Amino acid sequence: MDPITFEIIRHRLYRVVEEAVITLKHVSGSAITNEGHDLMVSLYRADGSLLMGGVGFLHHLTSAAEACKHIIRTFAGNIQEGDVFLLNDPYTAALHTSDIYLVHPIHHKKKLVAWSACFVHVYDIGAMNPGGFSPESRDIYTEGFSSPGIKLVEKGAVRKDVMALLLNMVRSPEMVALDISSMIACGNVARERMLALIDKYGFKTVDQACRSLIDQSETLLRARLKELPDGRWEARQFLDVQGEVYRVTLAMTKKKDTLTFDFTGSSPQSPYGVNCSYWAGWGALFAPIFPLLCYDITWNEGMIRPITMIAPEGTIVNAKRPAPVSIATVGAIQSVNNVACTCIAKMLSASEKYKDEATAVWHGSHVAIFLFGKNQKGGESIGIMTETFGGAGGARAFADGIDLGGEIPNPISRMANVETVEANFPIRYLFRRRTQDSGGAGRFRGGAGGEYAIVPHDAPDGGIHFVVSGKGIQYPMSEGLGGGYPASPCSYQWVHNNEADRARNVDAKFAQSVDEMPGRKEPISWGVFPLMGEDSLFVRWNGGGGYGDPLVRDPAAVLADVQARVVSREIADRIYGVVLNGEASAVDEPATRAQRKALRAARFAKAAE
Amino acid sequence: MTRPLSATLDRRESAGTRSICCTACGHALAAAGHPWKPAATVRERPMAGIAGAPYSTGPRVQLREFFCPGCAALLDTETALPGDPFLTDIVRA
Repeated sequence: MDPITFEIIRHRLYRVVEEAVITLKHVSGSAITNEGHDLMVSLYRADGSLLMGGVGFLHHLTSAAEACKHIIRTFAGNIQEGDVFLLNDPYTAALHTSDIYLVHPIHHKKKLVAWSACFVHVYDIGAMNPGGFSPESRDIYTEGFSSPGIKLVEKGAVRKDVMALLLNMVRSPEMVALDISSMIACGNVARERMLALIDKYGFKTVDQACRSLIDQSETLLRARLKELPDGRWEARQFLDVQGEVYRVTLAMTKKKDTLTFDFTGSSPQSPYGVNCSYWAGWGALFAPIFPLLCYDITWNEGMIRPITMIAPEGTIVNAKRPAPVSIATVGAIQSVNNVACTCIAKMLSASEKYKDEATAVWHGSHVAIFLFGKNQKGGESIGIMTETFGGAGGARAFADGIDLGGEIPNPISRMANVETVEANFPIRYLFRRRTQDSGGAGRFRGGAGGEYAIVPHDAPDGGIHFVVSGKGIQYPMSEGLGGGYPASPCSYQWVHNNEADRARNVDAKFAQSVDEMPGRKEPISWGVFPLMGEDSLFVRWNGGGGYGDPLVRDPAAVLADVQARVVSREIADRIYGVVLNGEASAVDEPATRAQRKALRAARFAKAAE
Repeated sequence: MTRPLSATLDRRESAGTRSICCTACGHALAAAGHPWKPAATVRERPMAGIAGAPYSTGPRVQLREFFCPGCAALLDTETALPGDPFLTDIVRA
C-alpha cells in the first residue's frame, strides 16, 4: 500500500472516533459526560481487537475490546446489521456496572467488517446507593443492573422490552434513557463515517491499512522498548477504606522488547467496592502506557502484544465474583494506574533519550462525591461533583506539574464551572480554589490540587444528600519521582452548623477557607450523608507528585509560588530552603544559602543519630 | 561513560568498573546492577504535616528519604509503613 493512502486512512479512522466523541457529548445531558468527559469511543476490528483507541478514560480501550470479543462469542450467528449490544458486567469485560458499554457491529455489504464501542457513566444503575458508586454494597448483586451482553437494538430498532427492563431498574430513568440515546447516536455516527471511508477506498484497501496500522504500532512499541534499558522497577500504593489498608504492589520487568507487570503481593480482595476485576486491571495497566510510552503511536492491538500482566486471582487487582467492584474506577484501578505510571517513569528516567518523558504521578486519588435529591426546579438530580476530574499534574523532568492539570488516564478530563453545578443542584459554593502546599515538593513542583466547600441553597427538602467513596485520605497517592515528595492527600469534612451565624446575620462574613469555617468538623470518607440546613461539605483533593530534590529548586520559582499562594512561606523556608524578604517580594540570597546549607547538614545529622 | 539510572543517579563506567553514582557529586553507592538504597543515608519521618497543613495523613505513614552519603542530595523518596522493605529498582543494561 502506498504510504500516502495509508496515512490518509489512518487519519480518517482517527477522525471517525473524534466525531463520534463529539456526538456523544452533544447528545448526552449528563454533566459527568459533557463536562467531566467520563466517556470513551474506540474502533475495533471484525474480531474485536482494538483498531483505533480514542480519548476519554483510557482504561476502557482494551476492556471494550474484550466486550466486543465476548459479544462475538456469545451471539455467534445472531449479529445482524443495525444491532447494538449492551454489556456492563465487570466480571465479563466492563470496569463497573455504571460504565455501560454499547457495542455496535459495522457491516459492509452484509459482512461484519468492524465494531465501534463506547461508554458513559450513566446517571444511575440501580445500585444500593444512587449514582453508581455504592459504598454500602458488599457484593456485586447490590451494585445494580449488570448484563454480560444483551441485544438492545435489533436491525436498527430499539428493543422496547429490553429498554423498559433497564429503565425500570434505575433512578431517573429519563436521564439514563438520554445517556443510552447518546451512545446509540455515537455508534451510528461511527458506523456511517466508517462506511463512508470503506465506500471511498474499498474494503480491501481499508482492511489492509487496518492490518498494517496494528502491525505498525507493534513494531514501533517494540522498537521503543529495545531502546530502553532492561531492568526491574517496583512501586506500591496504599488504599485506606474504613480503617482498612490495602496494598497494590507492582514489579515491572522490561526485557528486550517486552514488558511484564507483576502484581503479586497485592492485598486480598476487599469487602468494599474498591476492588477491580481482571479486565479492569488489564485496562488500568494500559491507561498510562498509552500516553507515556505510546504518545506518538496509534493506540491499538499492536501495542498490547508486547505486554504481559500477572495479577493473582482473589486480590484487589483481580477480584473474584461476587466481590463488589462499583468503586473500582476510583479505587484499585486508579492505584494500578499510579504504580504503572511510577514504574514506567523510572524506566524512562534510566534512558538518556527518554528521560525527559518521565513524570511523577498525577492526581493519585479521585474525590468521588455524588449528590442526589430534589432540586430547586422540583425535579430529581443525581450527579457527580466533577471537581474529581480537575486533577493535578505530576511534576516532569523538565517542568512543574500543571495546577489542576487533569490526570494521566484521561487526557480530556475537566471539571464543570461553579455556575453549572449550582444551576443543576440546590447548592451554593462557599469557595473553590487551588490548595496551597498540595503539590509534591521537588526540583520541579507537583501541580496543585484543589478544594471547595458547598452548602444547601434553595433546596425544597432543606438540602440534599451525597454519596462519598473516599480513599487517599490517610496515605498520599500521588508519589514523587527521583527525590520529589508525594503530594498531599485528600480530605472530606462534614462541617456541622457551619452557616448558623450567617443564618442569623446576613452580613456575616463568608468563610474563605476551611480554617475560617466555624462549624464542627467531622472527617468522613465512606457512605451516604445529608447536606442539610446550615451544614457544609468541605472537600480537598490531592496535588501531583514532585520531581527531584526540593533543595535544588530555582529560588526564583519558589518566590513565584509564594507570591501566587501555591506554596506557603513556611514551606518555602522549611522544605525548599528559600528565605524571602519581609514583603515576600524578593529572595534573600545570603539567608537562602545559609538555610539550604543548614538543611543539608540536618540530613547528615539525622543519619548520625 | 556515564548513563542515567534515575533522575538523581548515574551509571558510570571507569577502568572496567561499573558503578551507581550520585549525579550531583559522583559518590559511588553500589556496583551497577545491584540495589543502591542500602548504601544511602536513610531518614524516615512521619508524613503528617511534613510539607504543609494539607498533609493530614495517618499517624503510621512514613516518608522515607534516601540521601547521598557524599553530598546529602535527596536521591529518592518512598511512602511506607514501618518495616516495609525498600522498593528495589535494578537497571541491567
